[in-house]
Amino acid sequence: MNYVQHLNACFRSAAAARKPFVAYGQNIAAGSCVSGLTRGVAAGLDQVALNTPNAENTLVGVGFGLMLGGVSSAYFLKQQDFLLLGLDQIVNTYNYVRQSRPTASYSIVTVVVDSGYEGIQSSLNNFHDFCSFARVQGYCLTNRQDSELLIPRLFKEPGFRIIGVSQRLFRTEVLDFEAGAEACLGGEFFRYRAGDRATVACCNFSLPQGLALCRGLEAEGLSASLFSVNAVLPSTWDPVLDDARRTGGLVVLDDSKSANRSGHRLALAAHQSGAVKKVLVRERSFTDQDLRPAPEVFEVEVGDVLRVLS
Amino acid sequence: MALDLGLAREVLRLRLGMMIINEMYKAKAFKVPIHLAMGHEALAVAVSALMDPDDVLVCSHRNIHYNLARNPSLKSEIDEFLLKDQGLAQGRLGSMNLANPARGLVYSSSILGNNLCVAAGLALAKKVKAEPGAVLVVTGDGAMEEGAFYESLEFMASYDLPCLVLVENNGWSLATRIHERRCHIHLDLFARAFDAPYLLLEGNDPYAYLAELRSARDLALAGPGPVLVEARMLTLGDWRLKTEDFPEGKFINYHAGPAPTVELSDWPLIRADESDPLHVLCGLLGEQMVRDMALALRRDLEGEAA
Repeated sequence: MNYVQHLNACFRSAAAARKPFVAYGQNIAAGSCVSGLTRGVAAGLDQVALNTPNAENTLVGVGFGLMLGGVSSAYFLKQQDFLLLGLDQIVNTYNYVRQSRPTASYSIVTVVVDSGYEGIQSSLNNFHDFCSFARVQGYCLTNRQDSELLIPRLFKEPGFRIIGVSQRLFRTEVLDFEAGAEACLGGEFFRYRAGDRATVACCNFSLPQGLALCRGLEAEGLSASLFSVNAVLPSTWDPVLDDARRTGGLVVLDDSKSANRSGHRLALAAHQSGAVKKVLVRERSFTDQDLRPAPEVFEVEVGDVLRVLS
Repeated sequence: MALDLGLAREVLRLRLGMMIINEMYKAKAFKVPIHLAMGHEALAVAVSALMDPDDVLVCSHRNIHYNLARNPSLKSEIDEFLLKDQGLAQGRLGSMNLANPARGLVYSSSILGNNLCVAAGLALAKKVKAEPGAVLVVTGDGAMEEGAFYESLEFMASYDLPCLVLVENNGWSLATRIHERRCHIHLDLFARAFDAPYLLLEGNDPYAYLAELRSARDLALAGPGPVLVEARMLTLGDWRLKTEDFPEGKFINYHAGPAPTVELSDWPLIRADESDPLHVLCGLLGEQMVRDMALALRRDLEGEAA
């Protein structure tokens, strides 16, 4: 099963458990159904799936209105940059609604266009910036275990959050860690491997690169712990830092284009803790050259990491 | 048929309540910015009287008249502006976002057009849950310039949502008149573009407004889609600012803050023409009756506010 098929199954199942429930967005139940992401979501009794007009500002606000009216919902967006049109609602309306102790759940699910070729406006990979405006919690989903835990929980839990999924991973086989995945702090982080020489922490959607790095290090005889940082605004860095204190080395990966990355904050926390001997940060570059329609490249060389850790 | 004096009394209560708040504002009692709405009372009172318990109301930053109409306690309103724990929203919301969910006023936004989107969601929630009642949303001639106005009307019409969209057209946005900032927008034609009924309210007669709004609400509930109501009014409290360039005084439209030329008195009339709902009440009930009601109300409200 590929990543988008798996996410679709999770969304369908989580939505089916909520009644009433409204799933809405442009073309969510028409055409390709957002590349298959939303096919069949909210198709049950007491559920509504709306193919909406192209009115993103209003659509973001509609979710808050549904929330105030006691109806849970999910607004699916084909591209994260469409969400720029709804920033007022994410900040101003959310700041009102969060004080009113809502009983309903509202999730915005955006596809983060990180596969390249879409052009200068559509290749937005800045999840952290959206979450930063009003300290909205966000979650990055990259694999079977995180989506199976987080999607049902977030569709049920009262409150508002943004869920990001990676377009780059859509047609790839869904990453499956089977019994090896351990959720930390209710899914703010996941640990997939426990090693003794390094801790690899993957922010945004860099888990595939982190997994490849761990395998490369293992081939060189160095075992590494592997974490994903699923929450865009984690309540604490302790799960990663505790592990890094034990292993002595922290490698932070972040493939976001934001200047406001989780990876920065994690590296700063590691430096401030004083207990992690070696910290290496690998981030996606972003210059004018990166604006050309081209594959989004974020690669981590095993040799570079080995030199720092050794 | 005898008119319901309760409606007239409410218009006066709102006027005097805002005048008392204005006096405190002039004395610098408040830190939060307050947008007074003297001149808007007839519509607010009619809307509040119109509302069934199942209806919800969504307001803008200029919400003081609706909050007063939905809340019999002037004291809790003042305490909210003073950010006290005893305030209507425990001092958490202040003025521009003030709401009172227990009395059906579920949301107010300080951002132009923002509240229309939320109103659309509230109406969708009613439809999904098969709940009775309408969503009434108040906006203005400034906010209708925003894209959210178009988008929200489109959404409400697309999903046949029971919404009454009330445009308070006071002709101004901050310090610019409509013709100084944009072309004329034919709201009747705009409504027609969405097959939405359109109603124009003029004259500040709360009794006539209530009767017309009842018909509009019935239309919104019968569907399909929203009803657009434009209410023309003036926001009273303008003054003239004398400067070297304007020795005779430059006209300053009232937008927010204290209204320096408005004084609390036993007779709270501001303008002796149709732009002042109190003047309209005098024509309907006789000036002496309105004066007597105002005198009694002032005593009660000042006692409450003290």
